[in-house]
Amino acid sequence: MGKNEILDTLREVIERPRNAYLDRWRGNGGKVMGYYCSYIPEEVFTAAGFLPYRLRGAGSKDSSDGDAYMSSRICTFVRHTVSLALRNELDFLDGVVLMQNCDHIRRAADIFAKKVKVPFNSFLSVPRAPQERLFQWYLDEVRRLKSEIESFFGLTVTNADLEKAIELHNATRERIARLYELRKRDRPPITGEEALGVTIAAHLMPKGEFNNLIDDLLIDLDGKSGNDTYRARIIVTGSEMDDPEYIASIEKQGALSVAEIACFGQRSFGDLIPAGDGDSLERIARHKFFQIPCARMVECFDEQVEMLKNTVRDFNAHAIIFQRIKFCDPWAGDGHSLYWRMKQEGIPFLSLEREYKVPAAGQVGTRVQAFLEQMGK
Amino acid sequence: MTILGKERKEDWEVVYEGATGLIDLYEEDPESKGMNSILIGFRNFIDDIFAAIDEGKPFVWHNCGCSPELIKGLDGVQTMPIEVLTVLQDLVGEVDFTVALIDEAESHGVAPEVCSIDKAAVGAVLKDLYPEPACMLYHNTPCDSQIAAIKSLTEMMKKPMRLMDVPYLSTDREVKYLAKQLQEGIPFLEEHTGLKFDWDKFREVREESNRTAEYLRDWNELRRHRPCPQVSKIVALNTALLVAFSGEPEGTKIAKGFRDEAKERIERGESAVEGGEEYRAIWYQDPVWWDLQFYDWMESELKLVIPMDLFGYYAPEALIDTSTPQSMLEGLARKNLKVLPMSRQFKGPIDYYIDDYLRMCADYEADFAIFAGHVACKHGLGGIGLFREASREAGIPLLYFEFDMFDPRVTSAEAIQEEITHFIEDIVAPVKETV
Ligand code: SF4
Ligand code: SF4
Repeated sequence: MGKNEILDTLREVIERPRNAYLDRWRGNGGKVMGYYCSYIPEEVFTAAGFLPYRLRGAGSKDSSDGDAYMSSRICTFVRHTVSLALRNELDFLDGVVLMQNCDHIRRAADIFAKKVKVPFNSFLSVPRAPQERLFQWYLDEVRRLKSEIESFFGLTVTNADLEKAIELHNATRERIARLYELRKRDRPPITGEEALGVTIAAHLMPKGEFNNLIDDLLIDLDGKSGNDTYRARIIVTGSEMDDPEYIASIEKQGALSVAEIACFGQRSFGDLIPAGDGDSLERIARHKFFQIPCARMVECFDEQVEMLKNTVRDFNAHAIIFQRIKFCDPWAGDGHSLYWRMKQEGIPFLSLEREYKVPAAGQVGTRVQAFLEQMGK
Repeated sequence: MTILGKERKEDWEVVYEGATGLIDLYEEDPESKGMNSILIGFRNFIDDIFAAIDEGKPFVWHNCGCSPELIKGLDGVQTMPIEVLTVLQDLVGEVDFTVALIDEAESHGVAPEVCSIDKAAVGAVLKDLYPEPACMLYHNTPCDSQIAAIKSLTEMMKKPMRLMDVPYLSTDREVKYLAKQLQEGIPFLEEHTGLKFDWDKFREVREESNRTAEYLRDWNELRRHRPCPQVSKIVALNTALLVAFSGEPEGTKIAKGFRDEAKERIERGESAVEGGEEYRAIWYQDPVWWDLQFYDWMESELKLVIPMDLFGYYAPEALIDTSTPQSMLEGLARKNLKVLPMSRQFKGPIDYYIDDYLRMCADYEADFAIFAGHVACKHGLGGIGLFREASREAGIPLLYFEFDMFDPRVTSAEAIQEEITHFIEDIVAPVKETV
């Protein structure tokens, strides 16, 4: 398959809660485990034979079912996902593993537990500072999760299973890294809108099949020359980002997104889990716990800034566009500090507020236009 | 007005003057013993802050999710809750000053949805109103808004900061986890303040907390009396007491003031509501800090009293075994997880939140409940559907509205008054008449 076909296939994967790959997986007797956050060790699900499925609100026409349980001051991403769940549109889930990534999702977890009643329901208490002193607690939580899955589903997850899962997930990481490498080119062969579609799909379909598709995509992209008609290269960061159309509305203004450092974008993959003799589960946990920290984490802001600066440098970007879903508190704190830090660093920084699944072309267009002009682009 | 003989920043002088004026006004009034005790406490607290500045003592900042006894184990330290100025401004009716701090933070780029008290703390720092800390010790409760503020403040101050990770549940496992972190936090505090942690001092602090706890427990009990003996507006002040005064004789004095006033009024057969209470309601979520007179209005116009609210509720787990360092650390961890209002109810699963509500409604024989949805409390607003269902199942009529507890511009007093009045007329009164 060539680029366009592959991207079309992946577009179908991300359009609605279900997709053909997921249905096939289930048709073959496979189980599916839902989760919201990058701090959930999805390798454990793979090792236990599940398809890890990252929850999102695509395909939700309105959030009315969620609105019946949550105030309109809860972020629309959460209200849409909860609405899907309450409408039984996520009935393919055999379990969910949630955590207190933010106050909004913490309450979504209550609704999942009390109203949605997915067969298996677990919760991880994930520390809020990626510090060695707190790692043991996280590791214990991951161990508990593994045994809960084992005893609920009557299975055993061996070290070999975990190693195989690490290998599979690393293969995905490695492909995403190669995809991102291509985006460093002066003429990137893929737009931000397209690349985000790819990384979202990786969260919703079997990794093996995803990896095969991406192999073809990478070959095709490698030979392509890409476009250089953009006015500026930008990095998109901030709240979770699983809406390629939003990136498209930025790119329509001539700001090419060369990296999406947000959940569902590159931030969800990170570096490879290193090979080694150590305990497999511990290696997985370590990778998750010490990943590029997100806004929910404290005592790590310098690392977050460093990572963004490096990304700007490596991708030869001119600016950062920070987007935040309205009412999102964790990113509100980071948005404030990042604005000033980037000002100090001399990196142009635009802060946008958005609603989940609301076409924002008009508002985004005006802001991005003005931003580019300000930058002299 | 000067403080300790020197001119200070206007925001501080205004609250000092306000507190002094109110203390003078109510000093001889036996009806105001509780209110007065906290006003005196806070005026002394301001004196302590400025004395510490003048003496060059190291300050340690903390947040409202942190009961500060560990810090007080350092002899010669001054603790500083980041919310203190705002609480004082509202307590003495200087809300315009709070609003100015909120605006300051927003114009610096803090998102409007961050809690107004956290925005005000950022505003206070921007206006250089807080003495520089030697270091900061924060707990990641009760909410994400606090996390946002903690990160902003750390970035702005560039001072060493340590987070105590308060986990989701509150069982013994969590108590041990937090106790270990508290212990590991001691060298951090010592290093940055240059002071030595003194276990005997810590024991004194913890024993004082126990004395305070005993008064608060009695006070909670006395407020169950029918009619409720003491005004509604005092209840919420319990949280301010705990955050600022835990472990200090001043805290015990205030708690005793609360207790004595309630006790004496019961002995005299007095009711909070002149002419007799007609309705009792549990006020859940957050108080109307920007207008404490609001509660007077409920009492006089609606004959409605709030015997207990979420900020006043003092959980029975408060007393601490002070026999060993480990028992004290675990006791403090337990207090942070299970006693401190907001952290107790807001950080974990919704059951923590709803169970306390139902217990309060039953214990205080409430006719109905008021869920005052402070707009920043996403953990509360995100649970409103389940909360409503639980209330309905328990047969408790529930009024819900959204407002901002430190910013009167979001929902006006008149709008809230109208909501409560109509709810009583349309829902509560008819039921009461049938009964
Ligand atoms: S966007 Fe923000 S508020 Fe919404 S789920 Fe993510 S972290 Fe929570
Ligand atoms: S009032 Fe609510 S939002 Fe504000 S600090 Fe407390 S828990 Fe957080």
